[in-house]
Parts: sequence; structure tokens; C-alpha cells
Amino acid sequence: MHTLTGPGFARKTATSAILVMVLAALVGCVSAPEPPIASLTKASDAIASAEQSDARQYAGAELDEARQKLMQAQNAVDAERMVDAERLAEQARVVAELATVRTAAAKASLVNRQLRQDADALDEEMKRMGDQQ
Amino acid sequence: MNNVTGRLKHYRGSLAVMITSLLLLSACASKPVSPDGAIAARDKLTELQNDAELASRARTEIREAEQAVQLAEKPLPTSEDALAAHRVYMADRQVDIARAKATTKLAEDQRGQLGEQRSDARLEARTREADKAHAAAAKARTSEADMQRRLDELQAKETERGMVVTLGDVLFDTGSAQLRNSANNNLDKLVSFLDKYQDQRVLIEGHTDNVGGADYNQSLSLQRAESVKKYLTLRGTASRRLTTSGMGMQRAIANNDTATGRQQNRRVEVVIESQSESQ
Repeated sequence: MHTLTGPGFARKTATSAILVMVLAALVGCVSAPEPPIASLTKASDAIASAEQSDARQYAGAELDEARQKLMQAQNAVDAERMVDAERLAEQARVVAELATVRTAAAKASLVNRQLRQDADALDEEMKRMGDQQ
Repeated sequence: MNNVTGRLKHYRGSLAVMITSLLLLSACASKPVSPDGAIAARDKLTELQNDAELASRARTEIREAEQAVQLAEKPLPTSEDALAAHRVYMADRQVDIARAKATTKLAEDQRGQLGEQRSDARLEARTREADKAHAAAAKARTSEADMQRRLDELQAKETERGMVVTLGDVLFDTGSAQLRNSANNNLDKLVSFLDKYQDQRVLIEGHTDNVGGADYNQSLSLQRAESVKKYLTLRGTASRRLTTSGMGMQRAIANNDTATGRQQNRRVEVVIESQSESQ
């Protein structure tokens, strides 16, 4: 998947160190031309579960960002920029996870607000009943 | 700023080793500086870690964020700017995730308290309702007992029509519908009773013995009932609460052949209608 673990790396270690240096100097950090399937899958799974948790309603910005990152990752795959693709996929996953947890936080505080209102209403009712006595 | 300087010092020791390994790994060595944005991520994480309410509520996520921030802080050569930016992005979002997790947990913990608070309010409501019902019942009992005591004083008898108070003919001179001036104890008790129970309606019935004709007795009985009504009205009872009727000699309660029997038959009955009927 990554530069260091791909089959290309094993072959390169077999050749001379000079060749490595030269190649590195010429093209910088080369990536193996394999799409980061695992990262892409994790990203789209994370987006799906964010959508399922109503992130569209409670964390729309984060969800949009996740989708955008995933799209960029797929574009990078098409352009055979696999390192970029992997990073973008990881970013898509993490921001999708953020969308999920922010949705949960928003829902939790919404529930609390409702409970607080109910309790207040009840207190108010109590007071009125008390006054009538 | 001290933080950053300290960290740089810390890294200076392993600088040579790092450069070497970087060279070996990617051949992209350059002057090592903590990447842009890593400082901001560190600050955000520190703020979260120092938040007493939140820090303990997402330990795992904060630990993961800490690792991500540490990775982002690692100096990289300028040729690795993209990687540096990636690590900063990841670290920043990990901190956000940790904060959101902690916020959720905090809200859930507070919910428990809110629930208790609400049960307290409910309990208070129920207690008050119970107290109120209890007080009402006690009041009703007191009122019932009071009414019963007063009816006992009036020597009221329970009948199908309600409680009946019999006022003897001693109220009137023979053949007269005029109430005697002498204060009648029983009549005053009736006034006091009607004064206390303002919703109570009563039916005043006049009765006679069989001396004289039926028509005469009928009109005399009605006049006597009216006299009682007038007395009660003068003593403050609203006339609409009082209904009169003359029963004449129809409803004898004793034998008209004897003087004692005739005396018992000459009477005014006050029927205290039961509450359910009067409402």
C-alpha cells in the first residue's frame, strides 16, 4: 500500500543504494501505483454511518467536507497520485467520524434542553398548584 | 512560545539521527521545524485537557488526539509539506472528535441529574396532590361530623326524603298560625344550621290533627309552614332556599282519638334535603 511496504520497495532494496538516492532525488517520494483500497473503504463507511446518524441535519459542514475529501481521493487515484489519495481518504474518514460525534453531541444537548424545559414546566405547574391552595 | 522552544531543544539531541533516517527513508532532508498548524492543534488539545468537566469524559479519544498531535509536531523537511499538512489536519480533527465525545458524555451525565430533578418535581407534585386530597378529606370529615352533630341537636330523623326535624305544635296557639313570642330553642338551632350550610335547601311542611274540616286544616297547615318560613327569612335565610307546603290532616303520625295523639299530629316538619338533590 505505502511506499515502504509495497512490492516496489523490496525490489529497490535489492538494487544498490545509489540507485535509490538517484531515484529519490529525481522523483522525490515515489508511491506504488496501487490505490489505497482499505483507506477509501474506511472513508466511505465512515461517511455512510455519519449519514445514518443524521449528520446531514446536525453536522452538515463536516459531512460535506468528508464527501469532498473522498471525491478528491478518488480523483487522486485516477491520476495515480496514490499517496495523496491515501491521505485524502484518511482525512475523509476522520472528518466523517467528526460529523458523527458532533451529531451525537448536538442530539444529546437537544435532549437535555427538552428535559430541562419539561422540568421547568412541571415546576411552574407545581408553583401554580401551590398558589391555588 | 516557551513550549515550542522547549520542544525544539528536545528534538535537537536526536537531530542527527533523524536527518540520517530521513535521508535513508525518503532522501528528502531539510531543516527541521515543527509544521505550521501543529501549534494550534496542540493549543486546542491543551485547552481540552485542562477542562475539568470534559477531560475525564473522553480519555481514549484524548489519548489518540495526543498521539496525532505529537505526530503532527514532528519536524519534516519542506519537501514534505503535504505530509505535514496532512498530519496537522488529522491531529486537528482528532482533537475535535475528542471534544465532541466528551461533550456528549457530559450531556448524558447531566441527563441523569435532570432525570432525578424531574422525578423530584414529580414526587413533589404527587406529595402535594396527596396532601391536598388528604386535607380535603379531613375537611369533609370535619364538615360531615359537624353537620351530623347539629342534626342530632335538632333531633332530626333520617327518612327517605332526607333528615326531618319536627317542630312541635307548642310553637303555635290553638287554631293560630302566629308563632309564639317565646323563643324556640329548636327553631334557633335550625337558623344556626341554615346559616352554616348556605347551600342547604329545606322543605317546610305544616301538619294538623283532624279537628275541623279538611279545607280548614289544609289552609292552617300551610299558614303555619309560611309562618316558620317568614321567621327563618327574617333571621337571614334566603327565601329561595325555603319551600313550604300544607299537608293538612292527611299525614297523621299518631292516633287522633286521644289528646296526646292529636298534639303529636299538630306539627311542622322541616325536611333537610340531602346534598345530592339540592345541587
